[in-house]
Amino acid sequence: MADPVLASMVHAMGMETARHYTAATPKVQAYRDSWVKLAPYRDGEVNPQRVAVNDPAQMAQQIKAKAMELGANMVGICRLQPHMIDLGEDVPHDFVIVACVAEDYEKVVHGANAVEEEAMRTYAKCTEIATALATYVRGMGYPARAHHNGASEVQAIPIFYQVGFGELGRHGSLINEKYGASFRPGFVTTDLPLSEDKPREFGVQDFCMNCNVCQLNCPGDAIPQDHVMTHGIKRWLIDLEKCYPYSRLRDEYCHLCVDVCPYNVKSHPETFKAFMKERKQVGYKTPKSW
Amino acid sequence: MDKLYVNEIRPDGDVSTVGLFYSRAEAENIVSQLLKVPGRDGSRYEIIEAVRHVLLQKESQRAQVEPKE
Repeated sequence: MADPVLASMVHAMGMETARHYTAATPKVQAYRDSWVKLAPYRDGEVNPQRVAVNDPAQMAQQIKAKAMELGANMVGICRLQPHMIDLGEDVPHDFVIVACVAEDYEKVVHGANAVEEEAMRTYAKCTEIATALATYVRGMGYPARAHHNGASEVQAIPIFYQVGFGELGRHGSLINEKYGASFRPGFVTTDLPLSEDKPREFGVQDFCMNCNVCQLNCPGDAIPQDHVMTHGIKRWLIDLEKCYPYSRLRDEYCHLCVDVCPYNVKSHPETFKAFMKERKQVGYKTPKSW
Repeated sequence: MDKLYVNEIRPDGDVSTVGLFYSRAEAENIVSQLLKVPGRDGSRYEIIEAVRHVLLQKESQRAQVEPKE
């Protein structure tokens, strides 16, 4: 178990592994198996016949179109920077492409298993897209490596931010204006010359300063009131010791902080209202205005 | 478990929180790895207990909103 906090909690409870990982439905297990199966194909031989790139902006458009054709809902590109790479890892590429698949928010009204299956479905789809996209780039004669749930050396949030997908929210996930935080990523790092997207801010951090819906709905009380600052960006650091008893150490999947985020209301107004009504009925507070 | 914050202090004095860690060994390991990251070798790192970190943050945020005399 790579996470030392989770490992220590699992050990203290006398368990061998976190219950969340052993209690998967057959569908969830099939999705998990799918990204393990694709892990050996994340890197490979590069075509010796290199395609010349005279216009990185045009090539970026071509890559984005390819990712969309493969099933992505959002694609972004930026230069790969040291803080985007896992500590202790070396990724010798200049750019990173991120392809995201949106989750079907309607699943929230069907319970934890439906939400988990949807999350794993999108992760599996992202794995397929990243693997195929890396193969496509290598076919053009440039090194490319896919990063996904099966194996990865990159950090999602700083990449999301840099490509302009959105801003970091109070619940610790990045919030996009269209999909809220209900999307999952796959990545490709490469040396293919590409034009870069830019960070885009649309008021999420200010909104989160005055909204505490995720905090009120967190069963573990793991989302803090106060934020810290990291290079000018507000971060509400989730207390893992309080989060894991609900998200890792019991059978049921917990995705509540993302599902109750008011940024979901724009794309799914009726479902959001119905879901928040359910939340209120089970005892979690919702703001009076909803 | 312990609760410890790691802060990065850049040469220009800018202080940024790296993260929240749950043992001194884990926090020290992060610092030693950060020191190896290119471009971060000019930075200093401090490990602070959570309670003290929260107090310092609040103090700094108060200082930013209070009018200077």
